[in-house]
Amino acid sequence: MSETPGEPVATERELTMSRAMVEAISSEMAADEEVFVMGEDVADYGGIFDSTQGLLEEFGRDRVMDVPISETGFIGAGVGAAQAGMRPIVELMFADFFGVAMDQIYNNMAKNTYMSGRSVSVPMVLTTAVGGTYNDAAQHSQTLYGTFAHLPGMKVVVPSNAYDAKGLMHNAIRDDDPVVFMFHKRLMGLGWMPAPEGPKTPVPEDDYTIPFGEADVKREGTDATVVTLGLHVHRAMEAADELVDEGIDTEVIDLRTLVPLDAETVLESVRKTGRLVVVDEDYRSYGVTGEIVARAAEDALADLEAVERVAMPDVPIPYARPLEEEVNPGVEDIAAAVRATR
Amino acid sequence: MTGARVAVDSAAVWPEDTDEDEGVVSNWFVREGARIEEGDVVCEIQVEKVSVDVPAPATGELDEIAHGEGDEFRRGDALAWVTT
Amino acid sequence: MPSVTELREIYEEMVTARRYEKRLQEEYLEGKQPAFDISAGPIPGELHLAAGHEASAAGVCQHLRDADTVTAPHRPHHIAISKGVDLNRMTAEIFGRRTGLSKGKGGHMHLFDPDVNFACSGIIAQGCPPAVGAAMAAKKRNTDEVAVAFLGEGAIDQGGFFESLNLASVRNLPVVFVVEDNDWAISMPKERVTDVSNGAQRAEGHDMHGVRVDRDDAVAVYEAAAEAVGRARDGNGPTILEVQVHRRMGHFMGDAEGYRPDEDVEAAEMRDSVERLAADLRKHGVDDDELTAIRDRASARVEEAIEFAKEQPEPDPEEAYEDVFTNPPAGATGGED
Repeated sequence: MSETPGEPVATERELTMSRAMVEAISSEMAADEEVFVMGEDVADYGGIFDSTQGLLEEFGRDRVMDVPISETGFIGAGVGAAQAGMRPIVELMFADFFGVAMDQIYNNMAKNTYMSGRSVSVPMVLTTAVGGTYNDAAQHSQTLYGTFAHLPGMKVVVPSNAYDAKGLMHNAIRDDDPVVFMFHKRLMGLGWMPAPEGPKTPVPEDDYTIPFGEADVKREGTDATVVTLGLHVHRAMEAADELVDEGIDTEVIDLRTLVPLDAETVLESVRKTGRLVVVDEDYRSYGVTGEIVARAAEDALADLEAVERVAMPDVPIPYARPLEEEVNPGVEDIAAAVRATR
Repeated sequence: MTGARVAVDSAAVWPEDTDEDEGVVSNWFVREGARIEEGDVVCEIQVEKVSVDVPAPATGELDEIAHGEGDEFRRGDALAWVTT
Repeated sequence: MPSVTELREIYEEMVTARRYEKRLQEEYLEGKQPAFDISAGPIPGELHLAAGHEASAAGVCQHLRDADTVTAPHRPHHIAISKGVDLNRMTAEIFGRRTGLSKGKGGHMHLFDPDVNFACSGIIAQGCPPAVGAAMAAKKRNTDEVAVAFLGEGAIDQGGFFESLNLASVRNLPVVFVVEDNDWAISMPKERVTDVSNGAQRAEGHDMHGVRVDRDDAVAVYEAAAEAVGRARDGNGPTILEVQVHRRMGHFMGDAEGYRPDEDVEAAEMRDSVERLAADLRKHGVDDDELTAIRDRASARVEEAIEFAKEQPEPDPEEAYEDVFTNPPAGATGGED
C-alpha cells in the first residue's frame, strides 16, 4: 500500500472498521426483510461505537430498534426471534455487560440448537464492543475473548480490520448458528478514539464473505510465529517490523475467528518456525493463549522449541494510565517475547 | 479532465449550532490520486465532538490532501483539492 | 420542611457539586480540543458528569449518617459529595493518582470510601443488590442504619433492580431506591423504552412504598426523603423515591447529543434546581452576600481538591499487581517469566 511517486496509487476507497461493518449489515437488511437490529442506542445514536451508524435513516425504527436497558430481555428476545426464523442482530453495548444477560447468551442462544437436536436453530448475531487502551477501567475495558470462546455452541468472530469486518459480518448474518461478533473499540476508526495504522483498509463495495475458521497470515516469516487477534494484530505487526532490524523474521497470524479455530494454519507455521508466541488482550489464565499453546503441544510438540505467552495478567483492568499501560500487552512486550524464544 | 482545481471546502459542511472555528480530520477514505465522483464521501471531520462526512465537491481526481488525519484546520480551510 | 441551616447545607453541597462538575469538565477537556480524543488530557477514560442532578443527592443525603450505606452508579460525583466522601482523595482518584481513594485503580465510575460507606458500580442497576445487602446486614445486626441505592431512570428496566425490589420488600429491609430521572438513557428518551412515566409506580407491584418528586426541587426531595429514610430507619421497609432531575452535560463528555432536541436542552437549562434553592433561601432571609460567600467557599474547596489531585504522583506500573489475588505468575505481561 505504499505510494510510489509517479505511479497511479490505489484508487479504491478505504473504510474504517465501523463503516465496513455497517455496510455489511445494511446490505443484508436490504436483501432480507428478516434481518433487523436491536440494542441500546443503536437508532438515533447509531451505536456508541458507530456500529449501526446511519441504519435508522435507511431502514426506520421498526428494523433498527432502541431497546430498554434490559439485556436479559432483549438478548433473550433475539434468541426467540431467531428461533422464529428471523435474523436479529443484537448489540450488547460493552462485552463487560454480559454479566446481566449471560443466561440468555450461554444457556439459550448457545445451547438451544444442540439441546433440540438441531430441530431449532438460532441464526442470531450478537455484536459487542471489546477492549481497553483508553482508561475506562475494570468494568468497561475487557475483551473476554476466552470467556465467550470457552462456551460451546456459539461462533466467535474478532475482526482486526475493515476488509475482514465486512466479509465476516456478511458471513455472520447468513450463518444459521449464533455468532458473537466482537469488535475492538480502538479499531473502529472513531473520531474520538483514533485508531492505529492498519484497521482502515480498502473495502470493495460489492458483497463478499470471509468464511469462519480461516486465519490470515498477515506476514510470513521463518524465525518465530506470533498468533494473535483484534487490536494486537497491529501491535504484533509493529513488533515484527522492529525485529527485522535485529535479523528476526516473524510470522504473524491473525486468527479472525476463535470459534471455529483455524488450528491448522497455526500448526503449519509452528512446524516451520518452531517458536510460538501467543498474544492476547484477554486474561492470561484459562484463555486464548493457553488454548493455542495446548493445540501446538498436542499436534506439533516435536517441532516446538520455545513458547511464550503475552496476555493481560490476571488482574482486573486498572484505571490509571501507567497501570493500564503496564497490563495491556504493548509492542515492546511482544518483541521481547519473540526474542525470548530464541 | 478540465484541469480546474476545486477545493474540498470545510466551511461547506460545518455543523450548525457551533461557535467552534477549529476542526480535526478524523479519517480520509481516499488517497491522493484517486478518482472520485461528486458526492462520494472523501473524509470525516470532527468539530466540537460532532463527526461530519465530507462529500467530494466535484468529479475528478483527488489531487492533494491539504490536511491529513489528525490535522487541525480552521473553518473555511481547504481540506483537499480535486482536479476536474 | 428543612431548617434554614439545613437549607444552607443543602445549597452548599449542590453548588459544590455543580462547581465540581464544571471544573472537571474544564480539566477533562484540556488536551482534548479541538480534537476530542478520549484518551488524551489530564483525566483519562470516560467521564459522566452530573450537573443538573444535584437536588436528589443533596436532599436525600441530608438524612443520612456516615454509617448508612450509599451505592452510586456510573454518574456518582454529586452523590459522593453529599455523602461526605473525601473530596481530595476522590479527585485524586479521578485524576488516576496513587493517593486516590482506590490508588488509581478504580477511576471515576468506581469510587469507594468505606469511611462513609460509599460504593459504586459502573454497570447499570448493579448497585441495587449490594444496597439491599447492606440493609440486610443492618437488620441482622439490629442497628437503625439504612442503605440507599442511587440509579438512573434508564436503570429501572434492568432485572437487577426488579430483583432487588422484591428481595427488599419480602424481607422488609431498610433500603431506599433513589431513581434520578433525567429523561434520557444516553440517547433514548424515557417514553421510547417504557410506558410507565412514573417510575415510582414500580413499587406497587412489589407491595412497597413509591413516591415521585416531579420537579427539580431539593426541598421537595428533602421532604420525600425524610419520609422514605425515616420509614427505613423505623423498620417499616423499603421505598422507591423517584426524582425528576435534568441532564446539563450530555451522557458523557464526548456525547455531542445530536439526538436531543434543542427545546429539551433549553428546558433543562430553565429548570435549574440550584437557582430554585437560592430563591428559597432568599425568601428565608438569606441575602445575596451570604449566598455568594457559600458559593465562594464551595469553589475554593473544589479548587483545593483539584490542585491536590494534580500534585499527587501517579501510581508505579508495578502497583497494578497489588490488591488482587492472582494466579501465579503475576507480574509482567509476558516475555520474561
